[in-house]
Amino acid sequence: MALVSPKQVRYERRSIAGREIPVAVAPTLPRHSVPARFFSGLYSLLTGMKLTLRYFVKPSTIVTRQYPNNRETLKFPDRYRAALKFKYVTVRQPITDWEFPDPKSPTLRLPASLLRDWSRGYEDASYHKCTGCKNCEVACPNASIRVVTRIGEVTEDREVDRFIWRMDSCMYCNACVQACPFDAIEMGHDYENAVYDRRLLVYNLNRQAGPPASLVTEEEDITVRRRMMSHRERCGGPIPLNGHALPNLHALPVTPIVDASTGSIERNSEAES
Amino acid sequence: MDTTYQVKSIAEQAADSLNVGILPTLGYLGLALLLVAGLVVVLGMGLIWLERKIAAHFQCRLGPNRVGPFGIFQTLMDTIKLLFKEDIVPMRADKTLHLFAPFLALATPVLILGVIPYGPLQQVADISIGVLFVSAVGGFGVMGILVGGWSSNNKWSTIGAMRAGAQIISYELSATLALLVVVLFSGSMKLSAIVTSQHDGWWVWRAPGVGLLAFVIYLISSTAEINRLPFDIPEGESELAAGFHTEYSGMRFSFFFLAEFINMFVAAGLAATLFLGGWMPFHIGDWASFNAVMDLIPPVAWFSLKAFFIIFLIMWVRWTFPRLRVDQLMHLEWRFLLPIGFANLIAASLIALTNFYFYPLAGN
Repeated sequence: MALVSPKQVRYERRSIAGREIPVAVAPTLPRHSVPARFFSGLYSLLTGMKLTLRYFVKPSTIVTRQYPNNRETLKFPDRYRAALKFKYVTVRQPITDWEFPDPKSPTLRLPASLLRDWSRGYEDASYHKCTGCKNCEVACPNASIRVVTRIGEVTEDREVDRFIWRMDSCMYCNACVQACPFDAIEMGHDYENAVYDRRLLVYNLNRQAGPPASLVTEEEDITVRRRMMSHRERCGGPIPLNGHALPNLHALPVTPIVDASTGSIERNSEAES
Repeated sequence: MDTTYQVKSIAEQAADSLNVGILPTLGYLGLALLLVAGLVVVLGMGLIWLERKIAAHFQCRLGPNRVGPFGIFQTLMDTIKLLFKEDIVPMRADKTLHLFAPFLALATPVLILGVIPYGPLQQVADISIGVLFVSAVGGFGVMGILVGGWSSNNKWSTIGAMRAGAQIISYELSATLALLVVVLFSGSMKLSAIVTSQHDGWWVWRAPGVGLLAFVIYLISSTAEINRLPFDIPEGESELAAGFHTEYSGMRFSFFFLAEFINMFVAAGLAATLFLGGWMPFHIGDWASFNAVMDLIPPVAWFSLKAFFIIFLIMWVRWTFPRLRVDQLMHLEWRFLLPIGFANLIAASLIALTNFYFYPLAGN
């Protein structure tokens, strides 16, 4: 194979359409003789065979992932986008109220390791970083995000109530993540999101409603901290199931959401349509 | 120590046993049938699995690994699936020919399976014009493809069949010229005699250069004859849908598929028999102790080793090289392989005249 080396290129000026234009002239490549072409062709064929033989004898070159069997060891590239998710700040906070909380309390998130936490004297609480600024909602090109805010009981300020993300219309452009000034959301690696009803693809991303972690941790009293946050289901709220019951799935309790910014009550059908 | 092998085909043994009675004769004939039928089944299953596995590893994949250990039952399951699939015949097709063509395609390699010597005693029929028979019947193999493509009444099938015809007729010449070199060297067309003539060394290295060149020419042209990549223009997935078997489905499609794989074994077995000594162990002239060590491996194992080495070579080539264009294919045959083949034949006749071999023939 013959290639032009930079040394062979001549630079000159030619008059083209009445103007002097600098041009680079490559020499005409000589056509090699038949035996030379034969042997160079043979060499290239053997190079290819050497490469495939290397693939054949080296098991480490196999790229196949035996998917359902390798869930434990599955690795994703950092930029892999499977589902939008909230980032959480984990705070280790001492327990001041030694009263065992009511497990049915709707305002308290019960971690699985509650008993262990209580025996240690402190608990690990995770708080989101979302302030409810709605930058992501504005940035979303196909209106897949809806941030519902409320006026908090404790803070008496605007804070996020529900962060609703529609996976069925999301096109994973990452614009919301880039638009977020508080680094509150990211594209997570939770794959296996298939469902049988597309209404289930509408998620409530935040685990709790309430102010972001930066505000929560300013408050020293843990009971006040707990009162700031209220629990939210992943598929919770009126929008995901739109108030309907599906086979094997109960309709979630429908409560009207009061939009804090306008004070109007949203209708269920509004988000679905 | 010089080992001599008792060479006798199953047909001859059956003929001899006629003196004893009709039952042993029938037994021998049944054995022959069993050998060929068993080979067809085992090769069909094994080679398809092997091809998929080897192809996968050439392409950094794993290949079938779900059904049975290493997926060895995958082909069996595929066969069962194909058996239950609907056999569709196009509306305007020539029905008789359409249904007949797969059997025609399968008959060719099965006929050749009968004359290949797998071992000194493991050969169904040892006919005295073995090489002529092989090239004649091998050329007949195109009939199945032509009939199948023509009778489908589909433009892709017809183009594929015509391409197959042109290709096989062209490459038949080079293949036969390469076979003739070995016929010149061994002085016989009988396949078992060709094998025994390689007692002192295989023809691929014993005739300086010429044998190797003939071997390479035979490999290239037989790969073209069995329509495998890089010469698979009769199928040409990217150009002709599936070529001559576009309209075939179910078991008839799998017959074409089976014929292709048995053809591959036949080509590999013939290359092994003619150039690599067939079932003859690797001997070097008068190195008695070396030859004695090599004799420890049974002849059938030698044949299988050589045949599967060549099958691996054919698969390796298939999964490495891109497909040739139609004009490049004809260019390669008529302007390169054929002149080289003729020159090689002349060189071979000079060598045969002057007895210019490594370890010259004793008789001359």
